Amino acid sequence: MGRAEPAAFVTRLGRSAFVAVILILCVTPFLLVFAISFGEKIEGAAWAWGFEFTNYKRFFVGADYPNTTSLLYLKFLWFSLYYAMFASILAVATSFPFVWLMTRQSRRAQTCWLVFFLASLTLSEVFVVMGWDILLSNRSGLPALFKEIGITTWLKESGWLDVLRTWGIASPRNVRFKPTEFATILTMSYLVWPYAVILLYPPLSKINNELIEAARTMGAGPVTVVRTIVLPMVRKPLVGTTLLLFVFLLGTYVTIAVFAAPDKSTLSISVYEAVRGATLNAPFGSAQAIILLITAAIILVLGRIAFLPDEGRR
Amino acid sequence: MPDLIMSQICKKYGSVTAVENANLTFETGKLTALLGPSGCGKTTLLRMIAGLEVPTFGDIILAGESIVSKSAEQRKFGMVFQSFALFPHLNVQRNVSYSLRISGVDAAMRRAKAQELLDLVQLGDKGERKIGQLSGGQRQRVAIARALAQEPEVFLLDEPMSALDAQLRGDLQMQLRLLQQKLGITTIVVTHDQREAMTMADQIVVMSHGRIEQIGSPQEIYHKPANSFVANFIGNANLLDGVATATGIRVGETDIAVSDRDEFGAGQRVTLFCRPEAVTLHDTPAKNALPGTVTFVRDEGPIREIHLTTPAGDITAEIPGSFEETVKIDDKLHAILPENLLHLLPERAHDQNEAAR
Repeated sequence: MGRAEPAAFVTRLGRSAFVAVILILCVTPFLLVFAISFGEKIEGAAWAWGFEFTNYKRFFVGADYPNTTSLLYLKFLWFSLYYAMFASILAVATSFPFVWLMTRQSRRAQTCWLVFFLASLTLSEVFVVMGWDILLSNRSGLPALFKEIGITTWLKESGWLDVLRTWGIASPRNVRFKPTEFATILTMSYLVWPYAVILLYPPLSKINNELIEAARTMGAGPVTVVRTIVLPMVRKPLVGTTLLLFVFLLGTYVTIAVFAAPDKSTLSISVYEAVRGATLNAPFGSAQAIILLITAAIILVLGRIAFLPDEGRR
Repeated sequence: MPDLIMSQICKKYGSVTAVENANLTFETGKLTALLGPSGCGKTTLLRMIAGLEVPTFGDIILAGESIVSKSAEQRKFGMVFQSFALFPHLNVQRNVSYSLRISGVDAAMRRAKAQELLDLVQLGDKGERKIGQLSGGQRQRVAIARALAQEPEVFLLDEPMSALDAQLRGDLQMQLRLLQQKLGITTIVVTHDQREAMTMADQIVVMSHGRIEQIGSPQEIYHKPANSFVANFIGNANLLDGVATATGIRVGETDIAVSDRDEFGAGQRVTLFCRPEAVTLHDTPAKNALPGTVTFVRDEGPIREIHLTTPAGDITAEIPGSFEETVKIDDKLHAILPENLLHLLPERAHDQNEAAR
């Protein structure tokens, strides 16, 4: 008994210390943001603690409600979700066939690809966006190249330029990628592509080759094998990866700042403006961040219920 | 349906030859076992038949038509894999009807066919089960039903019993043989278990190091092996090196008479083959007897295995088991080798002999 008690005490102490560290590192910043969101901005100064719902009201119906109603921040929230959802789906949809083919290659080739993608993660968002900015720039990027080599002329003559205009990626004179939703989603999906590859690689590489061969001996061609065997077997990792990338992309800042039109901006831009930018309204910025976080949580839960019913019940 | 023929089939992986000049005919409706130790090329041969591997050289002919350039999905030979390869995301019934679903058969017919096959393998009430809820034996039977659903021209099984325990294996070998006879489907089974091959096959193909060592019925393979590798791989064998004489073989200082010695000329180095159950033990010398000392006795219940050291080499004899201890270690006995049950084989290569063990 004499020895058991100190051991149990040490274990309890260790657990308590662990919980304390988690609380300090993870929960405290969130609680601070949550508390500040109920604070009050003081004109010409910073902000003061308080407990009022002004910031939340402003988010949903505007500061001047009920005289006027503004849905500006709800629109920002919508674009946050819209960009993140399409970019994450695009990243997963395009990386899946790539990873599948990669797992069918030799071990050596797979290792080379994985090292390449892990290395590409060291590129910062700023660096990636700069590259795409140059590539899609109206004066020096693809539009200029198209014009130089005659594609623009062909697009005009064939009527395709008008089609591209209806899609929002052309002006009367040439293709135009900035600012467009197309460029925003494309760049966002590029940002998370390596993550999609790294997340999809383990489940796809674990698929027993005999399952594929068994399907082939029963008359299944490559497409049928993927459709009827591979995709159903990795349904959960596909949904999980999409949800993870979606949450990750909700906070994208630089890509939105460079490629999205101002009227199609997102909450991450608005939050930065409030906390560090021109408007300097930390309580309102905090309220926006909290709403974004709650929305993300709701979508994650709904996603699990809709696409992973077995997991949801556990 | 005409036979399946493999003509001069070779398979090389870089500088390694997995299968060398295989010429085989698989008779319609018969069960053939490809038998050999690990790495002998039997699975590669099966995979080439299935279309999962392309031969480096040679032709595969079915119904008079070359199928060597056809892919696995075009051949549609039903195959049972060593791991069974059942689809974990589908239940038993959907696994069995998979081939019908992808070929566009309507749902009602699919269900009826799957039920018929599940009844055939005695799993009629397990259609809704998940694969993870089945035992090893049940999984094997689902894999068989699934492979048969497409009514293949050739039915292939790659070591289908290796993952099962000995008791279950014995039962399923019998069931599979009965099922094959009932359906009359050309069947090829890969196995390294000689008992399994003997139980099920009409024809056994013994392979070693990518080469076919012998093709024959189970009785032929057992009683008249073509060489010392086959003799050693199928059951237990006494192999004694010696020199052929006009009447038989001289092993050590003893002349042994052999009835069946046509192929070999006097003076040629040969190996004498005799099954342990053919050897009898006597206290006194007799014709075709080798004097020896008992070194080990293994009692297996119905039989007793007696190991002797003789001047010509080690001999094993099998005698009926009994409650009383009739033979003891260090007993001096004579091993009688019956003339009509002895065979001469080409001189064995000792490294090959080791590989078989």
